[in-house]
Amino acid sequence: MDVAYMIEIFPKLIMTLPITLLIIVVSAIFGLLLSIGVTYLRLKKLIIIGPILETYVSFMRSTPILIQLFLVFYGLPVLMNSLGFNAGDFGAITSSIIALIIFNGAYLSEILRPAYLSVERGQHEAADSLGYKPIEKFRKVIFPQLAPIALPGLGNAIIYLVHDTSLVFTLGVVDIMGQAKLMLANTYGENKIEMYLAIAIMYWLVCLSSDRIIKLLEHFTYLKRIKRKSKVKKTKVYKESVSIQ
Amino acid sequence: MFDIGVFLNGIVEISKVVPKTLLLAMFILLLALIMGAFIYLIVHYKVPILSQVIVVLQSFLRGTPNVVLLFFMFAALPELLTSITESLGIPFDANKIEPVFIVILTFSISLSVFQSEIIRGAILSVDQGQNEAAHSLGYSFWQTFRKVTLPQALIAAFPDIMNSLLVIIKGLSLAYLFTVIDILGQAKLLGGFTQRYLEAFAAAAIIYWVLCVLLTKIANKIEFKMREGFN
Repeated sequence: MDVAYMIEIFPKLIMTLPITLLIIVVSAIFGLLLSIGVTYLRLKKLIIIGPILETYVSFMRSTPILIQLFLVFYGLPVLMNSLGFNAGDFGAITSSIIALIIFNGAYLSEILRPAYLSVERGQHEAADSLGYKPIEKFRKVIFPQLAPIALPGLGNAIIYLVHDTSLVFTLGVVDIMGQAKLMLANTYGENKIEMYLAIAIMYWLVCLSSDRIIKLLEHFTYLKRIKRKSKVKKTKVYKESVSIQ
Repeated sequence: MFDIGVFLNGIVEISKVVPKTLLLAMFILLLALIMGAFIYLIVHYKVPILSQVIVVLQSFLRGTPNVVLLFFMFAALPELLTSITESLGIPFDANKIEPVFIVILTFSISLSVFQSEIIRGAILSVDQGQNEAAHSLGYSFWQTFRKVTLPQALIAAFPDIMNSLLVIIKGLSLAYLFTVIDILGQAKLLGGFTQRYLEAFAAAAIIYWVLCVLLTKIANKIEFKMREGFN
């Protein structure tokens, strides 16, 4: 074990962190947006689109991410060509972002849908009877109850996304793993152990910090706010406000 | 363009490695469950130093991707074994270990901490009253475990364990980086052979899909059968 070497290579590896973070952030945001659309359409139970979406979700959940990356990388240009667009090559980074967005669109919808369904029917009816508009109803009644249920799942999904980005080097993206491969090629494969240990620690730190962010978000949800209030001034809490179910 | 003939041929060729992949995944699951049981015992009985080590290990394994872990093990394990065998004076070339063994070991270690959580949840899900009832009937500790706790915990853990099996099957797709041929590895070989990667990967994707859907169906059937006696 050569700790000095590990410290020496750490800055070089951190230089490539922006690419990894870019892939993570872009595919997380657009994947979440896609999954919201997919969840909305799946909950509508449409005639033709419904089964198609179910097939999409089942396919995405049961094939490894590696194969999805390859399929997008090799398949998307062919598909575009056959549709008449001459898009040429997409490049490795774009392909991997597209693949991760498509995957997360399916994966996150499997988290959001149960969270939405877990909100009781009576809550919808109560909001309707109070004359709330659909958007108002979602914002004020459904979302505050949906968020604490969905957040732990979304936190896990982020961790998996961080794990999945470690695979994009197979398409030739120079992220942390790609950089490590290049550096190892330069030194003829010496100090492999230190290199991969440094990378593992780096991913660990990324995961820990994204865990922290999700914990922070959970801190602001409805349930936790009530808990905090009830801790501060115990006498003033009404019983109704605690039992939101 | 997409060649249907190559694609169909790919499905036939790739489905030949499905049994091997399944066997490998089941073996890894079994090892992970055994290790998970030990980890559960260590955490449950709060063994002084070991339980703290496991907390750190849990966080580390949750935070590092499997690829990095595999690369690390492939670099570190032969060196570690060589230094051990050298100090013991046993003639053994650690660089000649089959890659399959390292893949099995890495996956079972990385999964064992999650299996221990599954085991913990399953054992907690058994009502305390059941233990008390068994105790009042004069059952010994082992009898209680074997006849009361285990059958109920097994049902509670079954869906999660099957889910881990699917995770392992998907995770094994990484093994092609280390010359272990599973479904994706076979697709890669086939793609290189016919110079048609897209068709080979599409065939592999279909096979993964069918495999996962089938396994889920079988698991649901088994779970239904298991629950029959209780409800």
